[in-house]
Amino acid sequence: MIKKLSITYLFIFIGISAFANKNPRLLGKNKFNSGSRSAFGFTNLKQAGPITGTVKDSTGMVLVGVNISIKGTKTGTQSNVDGKFTLSANPGDVLVFTYIGYATNEVTVGTAAALNVVLSSSAKGLNEVVVTALGIKRSEKSLTYSAQSVGGKELTAVKSDNLINSVNGKIAGVTITPSASGVGGSSKVLLRGNRSATGDNQPLYVIDGVPMSNSANANGQPNSTYGGTPDGGDGISNLNPEDIESLTVLKGASAAALYGSQAANGVIVITTKKGKAGKTTISFSSAASISKNAYEPEFQNNYGATTAGSTTSFGPKLTTPAKNYLPDFYQTGNNFTNALSLSGGNEIAQTYFSYANTDARGVEPGNKLTRNNINLHETAKFFDKLTVDANANYITQQINNSPTIGFYTNPLTGLYLFPRGQDILPYKNSYEGPVGANGVPTQSWPFQEDLQQNPWWIINRNTNISKRNRIIMNASVKYDFNSWLYIQARGTVDRTDDSYDQRYYAGTLAPLATSNNNGSYSGSDQVYNHKYGDVIVNFTLPGKSDFKLDGLIGTSITDNFTSGINWGTGSGGYGLIIPNLFTIQNIQVSNGAQGVNSGSNVNTLANNHNQIQAVFANANLSYKNWVYLTLTARNDWSSNLAYTPTDRYFYPSAGLSFIVSQMVKLPEAITYAKVRGSYAQVGNTVQQYASNPVNNAADVNNPPSSNGVTLANRPPYPSLKPEKTKALELGADLRFMGDNLNFSFTYYKSNTYNQSIPITPPAPSGYGAGYVNAGNIQNKGIEFTLGYKLINSSDFSWNSSINGSRNINKIIDLDSKDGIDIYQLSNTNSYRSYLAKGGSFGDIYGQTLQTDAQGRILITAQGFPLLSSDFNKIANPAPKFQLGWNNSFDYKNVSLNFLVDGKFGGQVVSVMQSILDAYGVSKVSGDARDAGGVKINGVDPNGTAVSTIDAQKWYTSIGGRNAALGQYVYSATVVRLREVAVGYTFALPKTAAIRSVKLSLTGRNLIYFYKKAPYDPEVTSSTANGLGGVDVFNQPATRNYGLNLNVTF
Amino acid sequence: MKTNFKIYTPIKRNCYLIALGLLITLGLNSCTKNFEKFNTDQTGIPDKDLKVPALFIPIEQQIFQNYQISQNLNADAYAGYSCPPQTFGRSLYNMNYVFVDGWNNSAFNQIYTTIIGPIKNKIAPLGVKTSLPDFWAIALLLQVEAIDRVTDKFGPAPYSKVGTSLVTIPYDSQQSIYQQMFLQLDTATTNLQTFIAANPGKTPFVNSDVIFGGDYTKWLKFANSLRLRLAMHIVKVDPATAKAQAEKALSAQGGLLSAVSDDAAIAGKGQNDYYVITASYTDNSMNASIQSYMVGYKDPRIAKYFTPIDATFAQPGAKYAGQYIGIRIGSDVGAKPAYSGYSVYNYTNTFTSTAPQLIMTAAEVWFLKAEAAIRGWAGAGSAQTDYETGIQTSMAQYGVASGAAGYIADASSSPIAYVDPQNTTNNSPALSAITIKWDEAAANEVKLERIITQKWLAMFPEGQEAWTEFRRTGYPKLFPVVNNNSNGTIDTQIQVRRLPYPLSEYTANGTAVKAGVGLLGGADNGGTRLWWDVDKGNF
Repeated sequence: MIKKLSITYLFIFIGISAFANKNPRLLGKNKFNSGSRSAFGFTNLKQAGPITGTVKDSTGMVLVGVNISIKGTKTGTQSNVDGKFTLSANPGDVLVFTYIGYATNEVTVGTAAALNVVLSSSAKGLNEVVVTALGIKRSEKSLTYSAQSVGGKELTAVKSDNLINSVNGKIAGVTITPSASGVGGSSKVLLRGNRSATGDNQPLYVIDGVPMSNSANANGQPNSTYGGTPDGGDGISNLNPEDIESLTVLKGASAAALYGSQAANGVIVITTKKGKAGKTTISFSSAASISKNAYEPEFQNNYGATTAGSTTSFGPKLTTPAKNYLPDFYQTGNNFTNALSLSGGNEIAQTYFSYANTDARGVEPGNKLTRNNINLHETAKFFDKLTVDANANYITQQINNSPTIGFYTNPLTGLYLFPRGQDILPYKNSYEGPVGANGVPTQSWPFQEDLQQNPWWIINRNTNISKRNRIIMNASVKYDFNSWLYIQARGTVDRTDDSYDQRYYAGTLAPLATSNNNGSYSGSDQVYNHKYGDVIVNFTLPGKSDFKLDGLIGTSITDNFTSGINWGTGSGGYGLIIPNLFTIQNIQVSNGAQGVNSGSNVNTLANNHNQIQAVFANANLSYKNWVYLTLTARNDWSSNLAYTPTDRYFYPSAGLSFIVSQMVKLPEAITYAKVRGSYAQVGNTVQQYASNPVNNAADVNNPPSSNGVTLANRPPYPSLKPEKTKALELGADLRFMGDNLNFSFTYYKSNTYNQSIPITPPAPSGYGAGYVNAGNIQNKGIEFTLGYKLINSSDFSWNSSINGSRNINKIIDLDSKDGIDIYQLSNTNSYRSYLAKGGSFGDIYGQTLQTDAQGRILITAQGFPLLSSDFNKIANPAPKFQLGWNNSFDYKNVSLNFLVDGKFGGQVVSVMQSILDAYGVSKVSGDARDAGGVKINGVDPNGTAVSTIDAQKWYTSIGGRNAALGQYVYSATVVRLREVAVGYTFALPKTAAIRSVKLSLTGRNLIYFYKKAPYDPEVTSSTANGLGGVDVFNQPATRNYGLNLNVTF
Repeated sequence: MKTNFKIYTPIKRNCYLIALGLLITLGLNSCTKNFEKFNTDQTGIPDKDLKVPALFIPIEQQIFQNYQISQNLNADAYAGYSCPPQTFGRSLYNMNYVFVDGWNNSAFNQIYTTIIGPIKNKIAPLGVKTSLPDFWAIALLLQVEAIDRVTDKFGPAPYSKVGTSLVTIPYDSQQSIYQQMFLQLDTATTNLQTFIAANPGKTPFVNSDVIFGGDYTKWLKFANSLRLRLAMHIVKVDPATAKAQAEKALSAQGGLLSAVSDDAAIAGKGQNDYYVITASYTDNSMNASIQSYMVGYKDPRIAKYFTPIDATFAQPGAKYAGQYIGIRIGSDVGAKPAYSGYSVYNYTNTFTSTAPQLIMTAAEVWFLKAEAAIRGWAGAGSAQTDYETGIQTSMAQYGVASGAAGYIADASSSPIAYVDPQNTTNNSPALSAITIKWDEAAANEVKLERIITQKWLAMFPEGQEAWTEFRRTGYPKLFPVVNNNSNGTIDTQIQVRRLPYPLSEYTANGTAVKAGVGLLGGADNGGTRLWWDVDKGNF
């Protein structure tokens, strides 16, 4: 229903608006004085009586909540959310328009029926209209919570292949961790910390008021250090940053309460560009950048292979030092983004059209991204009552050879572990060896080890391709009954078609490919359909009272449907029939002996269908423009709660703000002062099928019959209850010295209860998985922003702003009613991630070294250090404090922007370093040998002190795949020059066809001012819970240099 | 254009009405009637559609799940059968007596989540116990087969309370587990006997049984043989029960596994685990101990079990081509390929990709009878006959029956010393002088060594049971680890006695496992003896 509706809307309104553009008169154009840039303008003559009008700023943006009074009287009103006002006045009365941050304007009422008043800004920022939940615009001062925006320009100044990376360091309380998956890789975005053990903890993305999906392809996110499957991508990276007008982050539960369940982790509201009435604008932007590894692992160059043919490098001294062969592998990455946009229209209808093409390659050979974005945004207004808005986005994207993290099919393992001093070039020049028994080339690599293959074999013969076709269509219709009441209906269809294709050629290491050594083929085709629809009735009670009330009631439906198939010669499969023919038909399902049949190799993906229906209401009450009260309530019905006692949950929120500067007289220096507070509850549903597990047909390879069943390994949980977050937020916004200095501060505390935590129960329960309904995970912290216009002369200006945040995450309780204080999130070899009472989210556990009472390391009779038998908490990657420092300088036509940001505190671990050590290729292992061994404080079984230990014995014990990871913990503190842009705008004569040309040089990640870890600690292996802060042969972070050209016609 | 526009106008109004309708519909009567359908995974099978027989196939096939880490890297190696030719990137690991939790945990956990759990949590609630007593008998036998593998590796373990909770599952003492197993064998044999008597020739299990192809008479033989095996395990700690249970088995209706055709093996498991770990992973070589015996005895089965030295590897080198050389446990084998050229399990002829995997053989049962005979238990027959039939059955099983007579008559061959061509540190003289030919005049202790040694050779590659019998009897004499890094918890000569509980029990089932360690009566390490592993003579 919703799907049909929104598609219908979309086409109808595209049609109407296109038509309207051509036939403006039909729609009663000229009612408004179109494109007026004068201070005010008169239109039709009128008699004495009610005056109506619109208040806008000099850019044409409507101003909400402007105080309008008749000079010398107490009569007055305020402009509504559309900037409109109605007031009874007589010709000759003087209307006084006052608005904080704007010059007061006085207008004498003449004989015109409508007034268009323009206020010029005296100070920026104060009266910015903030796009809040459901796309509703509110004046910033009425907000009872903190919201921070980034403009489109800031997102495109220094481009990245995932636009959300451009937000990094710019907004307080937002933690962005890009994943190590090359060009087009996903990024993890956290607002005010991790809350949920189940979900992805990422915010909801909302485009023009309606939610969009942020889904990966069928691969999802890597969740094991073994790797093998690359990053499945995310949704936000698909968008064209040039289409974005602004991006607002609603961090707290209060801000997000109206979106409900989906917004439990906060909301990022994206407003896209619309066509503007007036002159047609054509913009062209072209950005080219190159990227290089920002750092590389350090190797020892003095010691060769342990013995001839061995995989490790603990051998004798080399006669000539080993050369660095990394340059033989890595390439210079690049990114070319070209975007064209066209905007124009009249007062009735406006069109925005854009096309962008992104072509990028990563530093790993073979890693490529191609993306095309087409966007058409139409807005139109009919009969002065009906506004329609439709937006269609079509995105195609292809990523070749996303780098995998982890041990398997990762070129970096073979590259880094290759014995020092040997020549790797022959393996680059011919990664294929002689033709094997099956008639196709074998792999040329001296080692048979699951951990490593020929790097060039992997990039050429273990290939993967992810394709995505995505259509996002939004439509909205708004009907103004009168100046105080409107109804709005919206719909969106966000359909993503993903396909994934992974080929392992014959010759690939047998355990990774298949038993018959003919190669293997796997992949998936998935369609993800996200649909949303809502209807909202919004009112602003008219009246002259000091009390003002506005609000809305609404209902929404969100429907997600995933379908598709996957195929593959997975583990236990037999591989391909004909070597290297990668078709589904060529996948062997039987090995021909004993009639053994492994069953079908093509499976349907789970047809996940879930739906949330909701009703909600919001009321905003204000008194004399200095106190604002906001109340919200929402009730959700979630299909994931089917088979539980209740499928619905309700949650309210309340917020209050005082504009102190309007309540009382403050010292001159304080221009504006606001204090605010809010309390909210947000419910969240449970995971799909949690209450209703089913059994599966089993691939049993059974000769007599094939009707096997694998029983559900999880018990049903019929009493599961939805999760609830309770959040409190307090803050203040201050402006000093006109508007030159502003300061904003927020304290928050949120507790998430009743999580349906997926546990690994003890095996004797008979189940491999289960849920418990428990937990109290707390996040509390502070955020601040400080902005200062240091210099603001006509030729030179310097603006500087600092944002900072501190989040403290604490697991107050897990499941004490069941006596459970610890749950496991992930577990592979040396690395574990647990949720433990008293700990915090993301704690990393690993083995440490056993010591005696005196702290001496226990050394075995054979001379090896002993590892602890249990896993201890060794690290947590979450930064304790984040700081971003933005500066912009403008001198005549030259501009300079730079962003320095720092993440302080937290620890990360490197599984890679532990393996490089155990193979004897790392610099530290070489240095230890140069020094005659590793200096330790140890003790042997006889009680004799041990002060030096052989480097090989030490590193092969503490390092390796099963390392004492406690020895590989590094500070996650990192301070960097994240972005720099130097721009020059060419002054062009006003008569020229080209209005402006701007050229800029950009840089990203140029300098690490402080970094102690052997890699960029910000980069994550996976954006899923549980693999944060660990480096398992991650591709290094890159340093980017670019050139941007912007031309406006 | 005009017409178009006029057509659109009414639609707009309709949309508005629809929108209003939607508000009322959703707001007042939330339409949640599809929610149950949405929240049911359409690719699966709801409980109500389960058919009992089909549930058994995956369960039977799970007995050897995660074989490499569940059994090969502990029991098979500790039983002197296998040794991996690499250290898996570690210097300290199971082979030199530092336990790798990530390996051993599978030996414990897998049995619960894939065999006992599904039977208790899913099959029992379907009412199988009373509605299908024959299937319930199989379910009981699979549970006994499964829990025995857990308790003989670890000691006390959850059994009676499995599936009662998601958070705490108490441990039973090993004695209690053995008592429960005998009771379950009682029920299983009774149910099978009743069914076979009432329905001669009927095979309702034929389509879902990958062990005996639905033949209940073989299941009955297996049940009786399992009773004999378990009885023998406890002969030192509880001789009276051992004797009573063994005699019950020896005289049981339905008999014991006695011919090669009776052997219990799991078929159709996809790929044979020995094949996978030997051929695909190249992680499974011959152990020096079994080399010492088989080469010394000129055992005709050796070419079936193992492959001779592969001359294509640099080590031990072409001059050893054609010989059988194993790896001594605890050697410094380093990384591959230093020891990869040593003898490996024969995956080209015996442990092929599709070969069924043995869980119990008739040969083993003959040796159990031989031991019962020297212990003087009723119904065991002649020890010599049992012993020789055991050897013949095993030779027949591997297609070398013609070599049996000469082998049985060999009174001089004895185990040989071990020489590692790469590293003399690993060398060892032969530890036993025991010969093959039966000597009726020999002392019981000598007879027992002879029986267990030959049983051990016949039972290959089932290291689980071989390790149990080594711990119980001290036979065959196995080379101790070259390097013992247990820091005193495991005696090099007495060798490892058990596996420590997996860490997952300490994190998820902490209270219970601590009580379990109390039942164990010693520290949770590899040196503590199990309940049946009494430190005293065999007789």
